[in-house]
Amino acid sequence: MLTLTSPVRIWAHSLSAWVKLGAICVFTLALMQLEGGWLAGAVALVLALAASGGRVFFAQWLKMLRPLWPFVALVALWQVWLGAPWATFPIIARLGAAVGLANAVTMTTELAEILALLTRLARPLARLGLKPQVLALCVALVIRFVPVMLLRYAQIALAFRARSPRRPGWRILMPVLLATLDDADRVAEALRARGGAG
Amino acid sequence: MERNLTHIALFAALIAVLGLIPKIDLISGVPITAQSLGIMLCGTVLGAKRGFLAVVLFVVLVAAGLPLLSGGRGGIGLFVGPSAGYLIGFPVAAFVAGFVVERWQVRVGVAALAGAVLGGIVVLYAFGIPGMALTLGKSLPEAALLATPFLAGDVIKAVLAALVTQAIAQARPGALLSRG
Amino acid sequence: MAASGIELRGVAYAMAGKAILSDIDLHLTEARIGIVGRNGSGKTSLMRVMAGLVAPSVGTVLVAGQDPARNRKAMLTEVGILFQNPDHQILFPTVGEELAFGLTQMGQTDKEARAQARHLLAEVDRAHWEGAATHTLSQGQRQYLCLLSILAMQPATLLLDEPFAALDLPSQARLRRRLAGLAQQIITISHDPAAVVGADRVIWLDGGRVVQDGPPDHVLGVFTDEMARIGGLDADADLSG
Ligand SMILES: Nc1ncnc2c1ncn2[C@@H]1O[C@H](COP(=O)(O)OP(=O)(O)OP(=O)(O)O)[C@@H](O)[C@H]1O
Ligand SMILES: [Mg+2]
Repeated sequence: MLTLTSPVRIWAHSLSAWVKLGAICVFTLALMQLEGGWLAGAVALVLALAASGGRVFFAQWLKMLRPLWPFVALVALWQVWLGAPWATFPIIARLGAAVGLANAVTMTTELAEILALLTRLARPLARLGLKPQVLALCVALVIRFVPVMLLRYAQIALAFRARSPRRPGWRILMPVLLATLDDADRVAEALRARGGAG
Repeated sequence: MERNLTHIALFAALIAVLGLIPKIDLISGVPITAQSLGIMLCGTVLGAKRGFLAVVLFVVLVAAGLPLLSGGRGGIGLFVGPSAGYLIGFPVAAFVAGFVVERWQVRVGVAALAGAVLGGIVVLYAFGIPGMALTLGKSLPEAALLATPFLAGDVIKAVLAALVTQAIAQARPGALLSRG
Repeated sequence: MAASGIELRGVAYAMAGKAILSDIDLHLTEARIGIVGRNGSGKTSLMRVMAGLVAPSVGTVLVAGQDPARNRKAMLTEVGILFQNPDHQILFPTVGEELAFGLTQMGQTDKEARAQARHLLAEVDRAHWEGAATHTLSQGQRQYLCLLSILAMQPATLLLDEPFAALDLPSQARLRRRLAGLAQQIITISHDPAAVVGADRVIWLDGGRVVQDGPPDHVLGVFTDEMARIGGLDADADLSG
């Protein structure tokens, strides 16, 4: 499946995931306090970090910031309406810097590495009955079944269209959901056939 | 054991699928993303505990960088952005929706509607609005105002969730784990 | 093979109040056994009961002297199951993980299991499959992967549910040769008499009951005649089963 990791390898890939996650926490908390020149400095720092990955990296990094635009527009309109348009800048600077750094970490950390970290974090839960293997199995099942279910959805939509002039719309929900429930039962059986969930 | 596990995993996948499929046209061209519908269904169909875990699994995978959130979004950036509150509220929303269906022994459809509204709207907004206020530098009432345009769509989704849950109760009584 | 025989005594199985299997008494010890029957006759259900995936409503099932529904871990080395639909069997996103899973279940470490999975793939000239996403394989390829994953666990008995249904002719021939070379007991389920021609014993199931049980020449002869007769009728009133 598609992941959000960077198409090119940069220096930040070799940093430990713990360090990078720690950096996000500290940086995000600090951003809340920063004003004026310091805030501008923080934004410049994030931009510099992203740019250090080269053209391809930077382009994808910018692309990942796109979902923020509606919020930028909204905040700007709001501030104009309040008669304080300049207040838009610090708000957007904080948001952009925090999201930008976190996205850069996502882009430079392999999925396996993050999952290993999560398994580590979940270890105390073993005493409550959540074994790390079970978590890993769940993750694998989700990654396996997202494409399978997308395909199933497309097939059901086609089957619907083959027999109805209307667009499937919400009517398709029911068969998709029933298919999910049935799949869950059968996959449970397949798991049982190979020794169960431990 | 296996059955609980596969239901949790496949419903986590279902939430993702509902966010990735082309938008569902509701009534005459009002498109909705069905992702929050998936959250409600996790609760109303799987029940409080399993629904909660399914959504936690989904949120964890989004955080880990899989592009499973509607629009192909994912990554830790989401947890410091304006939708952070909603993401954190998702599992709680499913839990509350499931709790209502499990405990309020009226017609499944009625309980599911109440659960979806309480969990998927009231509880979810209670997490989402402070999140927006914090990240967008707004006061709570201002952030609440920003959230209102989505209310109509979410009410429709709650109704859909109730209808679908009711229909499952009829089509596969054994599969409705929230009433199992 | 006697030690790994599967025994069913007075077995019945019902789902949602509906009788699916009734009065099944079988002792399966032959090396090659075929189970035939029409759609909905209960073949897959019988397999699920034999493998211990579900417990019978009435009666006893014994695999190598043990209750397969209770002793799941012991069953890993007793029965391997090839499901009718590979999409219901494959649990993992990549081929390597899918193969390794069964091995780790049997006590190997992740590393050992991955290494053996690579080795197994190389043996059948599929080394390039290791990192492939399982959902990008064709239906026949997925089924082959499922077969490889159960063979990897080296169970004493293989239960194959319609193993040839998704395969093209060369693949069918190849699979037949591969199966013929195996030392294990093999129980093949199919609606198609051709799939079980070489068996030592064939069981014909209809309406959840055994209607014929014996050498293939005899059972398949009667079965084929009956299927031809039913096929000749216009109304398929009996399909509702
Ligand atoms: N989940 C279920 N609930 C109720 N009845 C079921 C269920 N699954 C199967 N059945 C019924 O059990 C009977 C036997 O089904 P089974 O799948 O064992 O048949 P089969 O011989 O394998 O058929 P096929 O050749 O089509 O695979 C059928 O009449 C079917 O309608
Ligand atoms: Mg079958």
